[in-house]
Amino acid sequence: MYPVRYEDMVLTKILESKHLFIWPAFLTVLIVSLFPLVYALIVSFQSIRLVPPIPPRFVGLDNYAEIVSSARFWGSITTTAIIVCISVFLQYVIGFTLALTLHHNVRGASLYRVVFLLPMFLAPVCVALIAKMLFHPVLGPVNDLFTIFGSPNISFLTVPPLAIAVLVIVETWQWTPFVVLLMLAGLQGLPSDVFEAARVDNISIWRRFRDITFPMLLPLSIAVIFIRMIEGFKIVDTVFILTGGGPGTSTETLTLFAYNEGFKKFNMGMTSALSFMFLIVVIVFGSVYLAAAQRIVRRYK
Amino acid sequence: MRKVFMNHVELKQVSKSFGGIQVIPPLDLSIRSGEFLVLVGPSGCGKTTTLRMVAGLEDASGGEILISGVNVTNNRPGERDCSMVFQNYALYPHMSVRDNISYAMRVHGVEKSEIDLRVGDAIKLLGLEDYIDRKPRSLSGGQRQRVAIGRALVRKPQVFLFDEPLSNLDAKLRVEMRTEIKLLQRKLGTTAIYVTHDQMEAMTMADRVVVMRAGVIEQVDSPITLYEEPINQFVASFIGSPAMNFMEGFINDGTVVLGDQQVTLSPEDAARLCSATPVIFGIRPEHFRRSDHQSELSLTPNVVEPLGAHTLILGSLEGQKITVQVDPRFEVEPDIRCTVPIDMSQAHFFNPTSGIRL
Ligand SMILES: Nc1ncnc2c1ncn2[C@@H]1O[C@H](COP(=O)(O)OP(=O)(O)OP(=O)(O)O)[C@@H](O)[C@H]1O
Ligand SMILES: [Mg+2]
Repeated sequence: MYPVRYEDMVLTKILESKHLFIWPAFLTVLIVSLFPLVYALIVSFQSIRLVPPIPPRFVGLDNYAEIVSSARFWGSITTTAIIVCISVFLQYVIGFTLALTLHHNVRGASLYRVVFLLPMFLAPVCVALIAKMLFHPVLGPVNDLFTIFGSPNISFLTVPPLAIAVLVIVETWQWTPFVVLLMLAGLQGLPSDVFEAARVDNISIWRRFRDITFPMLLPLSIAVIFIRMIEGFKIVDTVFILTGGGPGTSTETLTLFAYNEGFKKFNMGMTSALSFMFLIVVIVFGSVYLAAAQRIVRRYK
Repeated sequence: MRKVFMNHVELKQVSKSFGGIQVIPPLDLSIRSGEFLVLVGPSGCGKTTTLRMVAGLEDASGGEILISGVNVTNNRPGERDCSMVFQNYALYPHMSVRDNISYAMRVHGVEKSEIDLRVGDAIKLLGLEDYIDRKPRSLSGGQRQRVAIGRALVRKPQVFLFDEPLSNLDAKLRVEMRTEIKLLQRKLGTTAIYVTHDQMEAMTMADRVVVMRAGVIEQVDSPITLYEEPINQFVASFIGSPAMNFMEGFINDGTVVLGDQQVTLSPEDAARLCSATPVIFGIRPEHFRRSDHQSELSLTPNVVEPLGAHTLILGSLEGQKITVQVDPRFEVEPDIRCTVPIDMSQAHFFNPTSGIRL
């Protein structure tokens, strides 16, 4: 038999001391995030109303059943999905384009770099308020622009398709900088000699983008879009300020729906159930997206 | 049929400045068709910059670059029909070996059968059969190197440009690869410009070597001429390994006086060099040997390095460091003064101020 090796002893020590490192963090996570989650889950199986107060009563899956059978829920999913899909697509395309332009050092790039990032630093509420003024049916400059071409006053925020378009524009305006920031970082991290090799090999700028830049940034792109999608699903403040979900519930998003249930009707059981439905919807969309992304990545692997 | 030009690549008064700093003063260089030209020099002397100007990756600040008689100074890199092997290979990381090699041809619409033929040839030539479907990241340095060469090769360019392609390889592989590259280039007959800071590589591969210092070409000659007739002290010290020894002295009546020792000049040198001139006396370590024009020097060995084929003595002579290469049977002990023969027909003399060989 060989004596116990020194390395093995060190390894055992490390394995023992792992508890010291893991448990505090684990307990914190447990208390801070898991407990509220479990509590919300329990509440979602109950009927609780705060105003007027009704004592909690276990109702099983009734809340969920009610949600799934309500047209308002499916409407809010559709609205959210439309806003998210279109705005994230626009954010990505415009953001990537801007990042490419900035990367190729156009004149005054450092100025643009700062200016382009500003919208991201504004609170969504402020952005929504600004947008509300811009798109005001009578006083807004956007309306003025249209009336120059002889169009009558347009009530941007009260016609459902237009209202959704405005929401998409506001989302895109605010979050494109995020895409610019990350894609620019990605571009600057790419090895420059690979592109020089392509230039020497007489590869056109478009083919360089299509065959080299894009595939090399694909993993980053997937992550950026994923983050924007998840974040996009949480949209509430912009909609709340701009349209309040109206006209009717035609622009109501999932979170706004939950908000209305919770803070207008104070129907906590229903709200918790809605939050979990929201989680499920995000997971479904996220998984579908990742599965699709995986297929694209595999084509390049 | 490609028209054959005597001077395939020509640099006329080409210069380069970064910002306000001129790193390459106007430089003239012509490279013959089919020639293997090596640019060599210490780090930072502007070899890469020169090569990149030929490739078009760096704009020349002044002068003209001609390839096959065509002025390409303002052409994009792609229009120059060069292919380049980069120091860090610059392979497309997301493409397999096969795709890396065939990519440029596919983009340029070369016929499928032709692509397959050329890629197949390159892969066989470079011994990459087992790796064709691998990604660069799962290849070793030497394999990546070969892929990079393959990629440059299949395009059948007018000019090959190599930027220190072997610097990341281990010593053994470097020796193997330099022979392979040289053979390949000779077989294809393509003009090649090769940058290295390794004088061994330069000597073994080149038809002609360009020795550069601080952006200035010091000498352009065949390896053997560089070795035997270096134009100045810089070239003499740069070419050859171990490096040439230099000692200050002066000429006195058919001898060189080095401190309190004297060595006798060969008759030709004695006739050439006037008495009383101060000189830098240069002698390579391998020229401490017996010959017809032999003289002797005594020195104090500090370190003795037996290398098998020969023995190196690192010693001091009149307070100056000196490296001597002797026969392995030569009897020598550290710190015990010894006398070594010098082949004076191989001695060099340099002007102490200008460094020019006399
Ligand atoms: N983009 C640049 N901006 C400013 N100075 C530069 C730039 N590129 C190179 N230089 C300078 O030009 C000089 C020559 O550089 P170059 O890369 O050609 O050297 P080299 O001979 O290839 O050296 P090495 O053997 O280390 O690769 C160096 O002094 C370097 O600092
Ligand atoms: Mg270099």
